[in-house]
Amino acid sequence: MTGRAGWWFLLPWIVGFLAFTAGPMAFSLWLSLNHYDMLEPPEYVGLDNYREALTDDRVGTALWNTLFFTALHVPSQVVLALALAGLLRRAGRAAGFFRTVVYLPVMTPPVALAALFLLLLNGQNGAVNAFLGWFGFTGPNWTTDPVWIKPGLVVMSLWTVGSTAVLYLAALTRVPPERYEAARLDGASPWRQFWHVTLPGISGTVYFTVVVNTIASLQVFTEAYTMFFGARGKQSGEGDAALFYVIHLFREAFESLRMGYASALAWGLFVVIAVVTAVQVRLSRRYVHYEGER
Amino acid sequence: MRGWLVGVVAVLVCGCGGLGATPADAPNTLVTMGFGQPDEHATARVAVFRAAHPEVDVRINEGAFDEQQFLSAVAAEDPPDLVYAERRKLGSYAARGAVLSLDDCVREHGVDLGEFREAALRQVTHEGRVYGLPDFAMTRVLILNNSALRAAGVDPASVSTTDWSALAELVARLNRPKRIAFDPKVPEFLPLWAKANGVDLVGTRLDDPRVVEAVRYTAELVRRQGGWASFKAFRDTFDQFGAQNAYVTGQLAAMPMESWYLNTLATNSPDVDVTIAPFTDRRGRPLTESSGQAWAIPKGARHPDLACRFLVTMTDADTWVTAATARRDALAAKGKPYGGTFTANRVADERIFREVFDPRGNRILERGVPQVLALQDEAFALAPSPAASELVRAWEGGVNRVLTGRQSPEDAMAQAQREAERALRRVGAR
Amino acid sequence: MKRVGVWSGLLVVAVAFGYPFWWLVSASLKDRAHVFDNALLPRPFSPGNYVEVWRAVPLTTWIVNSVAVGVAAALAATAASAVVAFGFAMFRFRGRTLLFGVVLATMMLPGAVTMVPVYLEWHALGLATTQIPLWAQNLFGSAFYIFLLRQFFLGLPREVFDAARVDGAGAWRLFTSMAVPLARPGLIVVFVFELKAAWTDLIKPLIYLRDPDLYTLSRGLKTVLDRFGEGGEAQWELVLAASAVATVPMVLLFLVAQRYFVRGTVTQHVE
Repeated sequence: MTGRAGWWFLLPWIVGFLAFTAGPMAFSLWLSLNHYDMLEPPEYVGLDNYREALTDDRVGTALWNTLFFTALHVPSQVVLALALAGLLRRAGRAAGFFRTVVYLPVMTPPVALAALFLLLLNGQNGAVNAFLGWFGFTGPNWTTDPVWIKPGLVVMSLWTVGSTAVLYLAALTRVPPERYEAARLDGASPWRQFWHVTLPGISGTVYFTVVVNTIASLQVFTEAYTMFFGARGKQSGEGDAALFYVIHLFREAFESLRMGYASALAWGLFVVIAVVTAVQVRLSRRYVHYEGER
Repeated sequence: MRGWLVGVVAVLVCGCGGLGATPADAPNTLVTMGFGQPDEHATARVAVFRAAHPEVDVRINEGAFDEQQFLSAVAAEDPPDLVYAERRKLGSYAARGAVLSLDDCVREHGVDLGEFREAALRQVTHEGRVYGLPDFAMTRVLILNNSALRAAGVDPASVSTTDWSALAELVARLNRPKRIAFDPKVPEFLPLWAKANGVDLVGTRLDDPRVVEAVRYTAELVRRQGGWASFKAFRDTFDQFGAQNAYVTGQLAAMPMESWYLNTLATNSPDVDVTIAPFTDRRGRPLTESSGQAWAIPKGARHPDLACRFLVTMTDADTWVTAATARRDALAAKGKPYGGTFTANRVADERIFREVFDPRGNRILERGVPQVLALQDEAFALAPSPAASELVRAWEGGVNRVLTGRQSPEDAMAQAQREAERALRRVGAR
Repeated sequence: MKRVGVWSGLLVVAVAFGYPFWWLVSASLKDRAHVFDNALLPRPFSPGNYVEVWRAVPLTTWIVNSVAVGVAAALAATAASAVVAFGFAMFRFRGRTLLFGVVLATMMLPGAVTMVPVYLEWHALGLATTQIPLWAQNLFGSAFYIFLLRQFFLGLPREVFDAARVDGAGAWRLFTSMAVPLARPGLIVVFVFELKAAWTDLIKPLIYLRDPDLYTLSRGLKTVLDRFGEGGEAQWELVLAASAVATVPMVLLFLVAQRYFVRGTVTQHVE
């Protein structure tokens, strides 16, 4: 369809964007050119904040930590969610129960989750290392060894794979069964069916989850902050290993009262995310198929 | 779909998704932030104020102090009337001019600041003016596990932090898998170790040789007990608040700890055999760091006079005694001992421990509480700084780099000093 | 043989993903000395935690508030995002790609730096201490759900819509009578996701609400945490009991809603 009618559908978003999003975004862009401690009015300082960000060691550390986490988190999330969705689809009459179980960790309050994961991932007597022990591995100190904190957080993040799995599950049921039939008649192996029928059939949803998970993962905050920096984490000493970009930004803004500098950091991250997303969108044109375009 | 849209409109019109509040700028309204009401210490004191001022609508916005909550309100020029937070944090806000000086308030109500403990008051005093009235006062003590020490042939009375090489030898002797001999509690207790070595962390260079020595020594204690990663992971397995805590299981022989832990031990493992001793400096003098919260009035508060009356009432000796009594009675009703209340008000403490204190035969409290009480006047506190959070981050980061073996103590603290200088310069530039 | 593989896989999944919730419920039924003992079954069994926490704080009020805010947020987000997503998916017009880029871009700036300006706006509107800011922005759609539903609509077969257009149906009719029923699983997913998001959101209630009578459950949980957990006497059994109370309604909602996630496949509706 073409024409003006489309604009009418976009109207709610455009109004909301102008009323509640564009203003604050522009304001934060302007604040990034100021010293602003939220107690006194902002004071214009030009590009000082950006210049400082380029020489801030912690920015480098935090950016590296964040990219590392994202590179591990997003692919493992997609693969695990696909596997789960495939498994859940075969659960037959108990499907509802298992779907709910997979989604349970998503619904558990973060405070309880953080407390629990510090127990589960503990290097000395945690359940995860006990599990590894059955196979003869000596597990690392996931929560205290700087080398293992990020992989530990990736492991933890996989527990909330439920949202992605639910989306895949919904997408899977929309792949027309005739296609599998046709593939089977051609003698395609289950593996080939997956690559040539399933994956193209749900590519629109996979694309969505990759883009959105990447954006969210580059802004990872809550779990790591609760475990290592919040009230619980005050007695910890994990230092910079779990310092993600938004955690650094958050502490600059609200602990050091440097909202101007934090705004500059935020816009730096904005550029990074925009570039990564643009690459993904470009790649999607080659790999993503929509029913509607056939 | 249309039904849903109708639903949304209905929600909007009837406003049931958006109940409004009565305005907080009405006269005789007091809004607090950062204060919770876990027990009678809070509820009974608020009740005292309400009884004295029944016309005032006190709104306790419960929950621990949260910067985002407070700063959003301040930025909108709609701050609460009162803010309750850690003194270190309030001192930093005071140094930035975000809270009101209480000099007039104190004078008007005839408050004798001499009643307050010096270290606590110092944390909220900036350039000679008082910006907050201190509330609770916490100190740090050594808690020794008598059974674990005696089993290893060590007399608990001989354990102290005075002689650092003797302590290191003790650690070597007691050290074994699945037991921490001595936990120095760094980085969070670094100010105590530095002070024991003769320096204040605020106002001295962080790369001062005495600071570096304290860092090296404490990190070395951790290294000898398996190194940071496994030491910390093992410590994390302790069931700190359980009946099977590390003193009961013998997983821990000794550590310095905040004084509130006495109450935890007394409640959850009343029969555990521990000795409470002061942390000492290298000449053997008792030493402790004071911490706790204070009340303050943010700049731009709608009802500063009422707020002043409120914080004066809350920290007054009579109010404290009323609260302590209520606390004791509530605990007694559950058959539990009352280990006293440690406030920043010296007069209140004297009366509480003379008139109200009721350990009901609990040995931990009977023996430990006098130790804690005696320490109160030996307490030191770091001076407030507008860059307090950055300073703490700088030295804690330095200690972490040493603990995890990434830097030598000299390099780590030199970097910490550079970070601290940069933070102070930035604040000074404003 | 294949069924054995599937069921052992499901068993592993049930244990791995069910454990955190099991742990939470179990720990919430233990007494203070045993909260963190990691025993699978609570012994001694202390259901009194629930009574105690219910007596200590107005959980019922908070639940009612959370339901009101959550349903308002979810309804608004679902309806508005569906409309906007339909616009992006079904129409071709100049600037569409650019505009969709802007939608995505709104997700890319960390909320920590826009939080204060948004608060200032609500304050200027005089609504800063009400529950309205907790959900009303959803009336304009939310980028995440617009993107999600756009993918859903793009997945619908074009021919159906073309046929309807030939019959003279207007754009709004296409939306309400064809797109919405066909995308119903997607809409229910959005509703559940947003209800869950509003239910667990702490930061907005923390910043906006000052009156305990208006607190949502997650804001109330912070009160419980600061009162009994970190700030109090470490009565974690009460904190966990309140956490369990907060989780169970979401679990029930999900249990009811999840069957609709996978129903209504495209082919069924076309037939």
